Amino acid sequence: MEPLLLKNTDQPNSADLAEYQRIGGYRALKKALEMSPAEVIEEVVTSGLQGRGGAGFPTGKKWEFAVRATGSPKYLINNADEGEPGTFKDRYLMEKNPHLVIEGMVIASHALGAQKGYIYLRHEYPTAGARLERAMEEALNHGFLGDSICGTSVNFDLEIFRGAGAYICGEETALIDSMEGKRGQPRLKPPFPVNAGLWGKPTIVNNVETLACVPIIVDIGGAAFAEIGTPASPGPKLYCLSGSVNRPGLYEAPMGTSLRELIYEYAGGMRNGHRLKAVIPGGLSTPVLPAEATDCAMDFASLVEAGSALGSAGVIVMDDTVCMVRVARRAAHFYEVESCGKCVPCREGTGWLEKVLSRIENGNAEMKDLDLLQDISDAIYGNCFCPLGDSAAEVVSAIFKHFRGEFEAHVKNGVCDLEA
Amino acid sequence: MSEETKNITVAINGKEVEVSPKTTILRAAREAGYSIPSLCDYELLAPIGACRMCLVEVEGMQRLQTSCTLLPVNGMEVTTESDVLTKARRDVLELLLINHPLDCPFCDKSGECDLQDMVLKYGPSIGRYTEQKRNIPSSYEDPLLATNMERCIACERCVRMCDEVQGVSALTMVGRGEETRMEPFSLESWDCEYCGNCLPACPVGAILSTVQMHNYRPWQMNREVDTVCGHCGVGCQLVVQVRDEQIARIDSRTSLGINRGLLCSLGRFGHEYVGAEERLGSPMIRRDGELEECSWEEVIAFVADRLTAVKEQHGGEAIAGIASPRCSNEENYLFQKFLRVGCGSNSIDSLSRLGLAAARRVFEDLLGSGALANELSAIDACDGILVVGGDPTVVNPILGLSIRQAAGAGARVGILGRASGLDRVRAVSMAPGVERETAVLETLLAEVAKERGFSDERVEKAMDSLRETHRAPESPEEGLADLRDLLRSAATLAIVVGPELVQRPDGHRALAALAGLAHCLQARLYLQAEGANEQGLVDVGCEPDRLPGGIPVADQAHRQRLEGLWGGSVPVEPGLSLMEIIEAAGTKIRALYVMGENPVFKLPKSSLVRKALESLDLLVVQDIFLNETAKLAHVVLPAQAWTERDGTFTNIEHRIQRSPKAIAPRSGRADWQIVAEIAEAMGCPLAVAKVGEITQELATVSPLHAGLDAESLDDRGWLVRPPEERPPGESAAPPIALPLQEPTTNGVRLGVERLLFHAGTTSRHSPALLKICPEATAKLSVELASELDLEDGDRVRLSTAQGSVTVPVEIDASLTDHRVLLSNHFENAGVLGLLDYSLHPLTKAPALEASEVAITKVEAAEE
Amino acid sequence: MTLSTAALREIEMIRGKYPEPRSALIPALYIAEREFGWLSAAALLSLAEALDLPPALVRGTATFYHLYRHREMGRHLIQLCTNVSCMILGAEELQEMLKRKYGLVPGGTTEDGRFSLLIMECIGVCEGAPAMQIDTDLYQNLTEERLDEILSSYG
Repeated sequence: MEPLLLKNTDQPNSADLAEYQRIGGYRALKKALEMSPAEVIEEVVTSGLQGRGGAGFPTGKKWEFAVRATGSPKYLINNADEGEPGTFKDRYLMEKNPHLVIEGMVIASHALGAQKGYIYLRHEYPTAGARLERAMEEALNHGFLGDSICGTSVNFDLEIFRGAGAYICGEETALIDSMEGKRGQPRLKPPFPVNAGLWGKPTIVNNVETLACVPIIVDIGGAAFAEIGTPASPGPKLYCLSGSVNRPGLYEAPMGTSLRELIYEYAGGMRNGHRLKAVIPGGLSTPVLPAEATDCAMDFASLVEAGSALGSAGVIVMDDTVCMVRVARRAAHFYEVESCGKCVPCREGTGWLEKVLSRIENGNAEMKDLDLLQDISDAIYGNCFCPLGDSAAEVVSAIFKHFRGEFEAHVKNGVCDLEA
Repeated sequence: MSEETKNITVAINGKEVEVSPKTTILRAAREAGYSIPSLCDYELLAPIGACRMCLVEVEGMQRLQTSCTLLPVNGMEVTTESDVLTKARRDVLELLLINHPLDCPFCDKSGECDLQDMVLKYGPSIGRYTEQKRNIPSSYEDPLLATNMERCIACERCVRMCDEVQGVSALTMVGRGEETRMEPFSLESWDCEYCGNCLPACPVGAILSTVQMHNYRPWQMNREVDTVCGHCGVGCQLVVQVRDEQIARIDSRTSLGINRGLLCSLGRFGHEYVGAEERLGSPMIRRDGELEECSWEEVIAFVADRLTAVKEQHGGEAIAGIASPRCSNEENYLFQKFLRVGCGSNSIDSLSRLGLAAARRVFEDLLGSGALANELSAIDACDGILVVGGDPTVVNPILGLSIRQAAGAGARVGILGRASGLDRVRAVSMAPGVERETAVLETLLAEVAKERGFSDERVEKAMDSLRETHRAPESPEEGLADLRDLLRSAATLAIVVGPELVQRPDGHRALAALAGLAHCLQARLYLQAEGANEQGLVDVGCEPDRLPGGIPVADQAHRQRLEGLWGGSVPVEPGLSLMEIIEAAGTKIRALYVMGENPVFKLPKSSLVRKALESLDLLVVQDIFLNETAKLAHVVLPAQAWTERDGTFTNIEHRIQRSPKAIAPRSGRADWQIVAEIAEAMGCPLAVAKVGEITQELATVSPLHAGLDAESLDDRGWLVRPPEERPPGESAAPPIALPLQEPTTNGVRLGVERLLFHAGTTSRHSPALLKICPEATAKLSVELASELDLEDGDRVRLSTAQGSVTVPVEIDASLTDHRVLLSNHFENAGVLGLLDYSLHPLTKAPALEASEVAITKVEAAEE
Repeated sequence: MTLSTAALREIEMIRGKYPEPRSALIPALYIAEREFGWLSAAALLSLAEALDLPPALVRGTATFYHLYRHREMGRHLIQLCTNVSCMILGAEELQEMLKRKYGLVPGGTTEDGRFSLLIMECIGVCEGAPAMQIDTDLYQNLTEERLDEILSSYG
């Protein structure tokens, strides 16, 4: 398929306004401004667009809630706190196609009646920040941003808010707390941000890629967008391929493209002739799939059926040289570091997981520690405040389930099978 | 406030219960008799759902739900105990315990630790964690609060308490993930209000008070007694825990009292004076210039003889009495009865003449007796609050908390003058200088009255006289418009009046203007009171012109009824008020009986007071310490302290609460008992054998107290309500301002500073309070300090025409004016004695002159 | 220890942008870091004063975020990602090399004060794994030799 989100991004000047306009940029905005907000939302509903941040909530529905929410002003936040390990799609979009992201936000602001927008950008992305800033300035100078956009009465003020290094701030309520100068921990819901978010006002938080889809939907029409991908998961999708493949990188493909196709066609297959062993399909918070599952379609429903999730479509590919105990330990370390510390199971459990996994990896464990590992995962799972803890438990459990033999070998031999 | 409607039915463990839509399932279950374990939920705090112990099963919901955050919906079916839940709770506890030290044998919390209790109930019995536990050093640096953060379970209750309730935010969670722990900004000193409300909030032994640390185990307490705090006019309920007839600890319960378990530094840590070594032991009589110990028989006979002699020689009106806000209603009642019938004098007053007693009269004369009958809890429902005349967070800290909480809920707080404790929550503030505050109030009144008008002719007349003499500001003042808007826009306004106003030369006008504002805006008025029983002593008749129940002495019918009940005659003419008594000492007044008070230290112009008292034929001082006044006395009678005897106290909202005996007296006799014995010896039996009889008599004698039954008082007490609201006084006199002394160029004025960590002079005997606030300081602004070339810690001599004191300098960034502030708690370093005063003809309050003070730096060698 | 007038002005400007001044805290912490080098207690205290916030709140927020400098650091900050995608391709071996050759442990600083090391949880450059950032420069497809080479270019 012709790339829509990554259109022209192979050109060196793809981030320039002139280049963006040359390929039809801001055409959708002008079209949207001629439509009523309700009509824009209707198109998004028709498109079937689901949030690209990981949860896959229908964007149109979220916008409908937001429009109904009372209170003003309304805020639009672009969640650019892309922290999910194995994911780099939003960075790429912001660096290479910043105007698409901005255009999406302006259209969204018109649809939602939000006059103020923020891009919550993770601090790890200085280049994306610089490109966005430049693009915003260009857009402002050309009347695509700021007051009286394209000569209409629509105003939208956009600014960047930089995070300070906390994965949990990708969770929308934690993100909002962070913007309020607090420790970025998830809030109790309800109230949901659409009703009472930033500074208590109605707030719509959408992912970068989600917002980038908006100009496309307006441009080609919601129905045409829905034709792409699968009926249950329509649209184009950005897939981040990394790990043991020949051509790691970002690929745009229709939603529902199979894992096999992504690995072997798009990413050029396994590197150095190694054999595929496992795939984490949707970023580190999704359970691992064994090599046998590669025929699975990469969309929301199919991956759930396969025992994992689409998440952020950060596909981490592992070949037969990769020690799965080590992967589990590193995953647990990630959760231990990124646990916000609010609820007990996640705060205490993730650290314990990592410690036990380290012992197993280093050969300092006994067989009963494998049961302990499972017990800790079970104690965390289902008992946490937010999905972070659950993910830690699921991810470790899945690796353990599919590759138990490697764990046992570590315990028995004291070292990894692969090294032995 | 109306009770929330309970219109939702849920089934908890199969039992159908009706609950209100805002009651969480955790609380609803508790009400229904099912206790769900929880660690992060706390009565006064918004739920956060963090500890995951309170998980329940809900029919139709796949995941377990935290009941502390779960709101009911009709037909919801909840299960609070099951195998699944037991496993989930055991799992959570196992995770909690991996980093929790198993040091129960020497943890102070052991025996009252929530975590310990839960582990006992749900397990696990063995730990499987073999790694290194989290290592966070303990801190014992702070004078009062110790942390042992290895025990911390990060429930955030202390942090939320400090932030949401106390409004101080001295504590925070620091770090992230496994490293998350609570810390104050600096471990060396918490730099907080030392309310200690974080102590009962901590479910484990992570925060402990060094006052009690390692002294006892909870189960070693002999008993616990619920009582009312004796430090200020709010009347907080607290729990006295007794071991070996000593107060081992002051605790609190969120279920207790109007304070809902919240206390201030004085309430929680200010009790040690009760057990102080320096308490008076035996009675003393001055012989050859020295106070000598004697027996009770001897001293009672001595006082009775001397009082009888004065009475015979000079008439009963030559005897005067000073009552005490630290004494109970019963003691004050009996004291005034003794003076009136036993001695034949109406000259009975108290130091509340500098505070509530005088201010209250201005409001009641103008607005009627119901004007001040407002419950503290109603502040929560106000959307506008005007604070004037003192910082409620210092004078009456728990009242201050109500204001902070109301502000948190959206009320706009306006401050006229200085109230630093409300700085964080104020919407509007105006500090035109003390000399200008009255004019501001009058301007506000003029503007508000123009719009709203007066519905009462008398009020209007009084206000007219204010208006005629009002000095309007020459130019618009900063903040005035905002303050006016706050007053006008509030649907329900509260006006909180501090004790400073009535002590000012133009205080009467200020109070009258506030009465006018309250009238026009239908505001709820609250008077702050430094003493615990200021309201009570007024109600029971410790005023020269009022009998018990607030009936004027001039009311012949009532007086005669009283005489019948008391079996003795009461003088027809009102007696002398406080300062009149002092001024007449040695002339018209020959004998003075001071009960639980210290006028030499706590009145202005101490040189005059001292001289006056020295010229008396008889000065009797009844107290628990040999204070400045007792040192001058002919007779010293050791009394009993708070918690050592029964009685009732009336708080600023007119709530009568019991203060039962909790410990055996260290020494002395109950104030009422001493008074009764002296009366008996004078041949005027007061016919009481125990406190309850006095309460009963009070209920018979005073219409205000009709129906009071001390035995049946619970922690909510009994609200005094005028049986029929008395109309305003016959002649509400036009407000009078005494001439203000114009400051000379560059003259520095001396002002009174109230301290959060001290109350009266008893706090001198409380080591814990002295640790956090050891000495008096001269507070001055950054500008003034640089003008005078002074630095923090420099010692200065403050001299006025009345005398001088030497204290260290403390520069206070919140001060802006050309004043130096000094407190009135520390020996040889009190501010009041340095001030001059004029007697206000109407309020009879000593109006403190803003005396000029000379400040000289003192080198160490000079001292 | 006080913030410069320019920094105070900048903080004031940021504060004015938000309906609740506390929102200025996250950006203002970067300013304090720039002013003082790292977020010492004194730095946090002066920031609290500038923002009129309780110092404890400032500290609570600051310590939650890992990218602030919570201790004194070397002249250059190495942010090495060792998360799964990078780990698969040798990031942990790079970390090991930094320890072996430079004595550099996570959170630590080299003896000569040249480098500090922060282990990152995915810096979003997985297609160029293993990747790292030194100050604001991004490096991809690292090997031990390349890492050595790169470090030698920093003074």
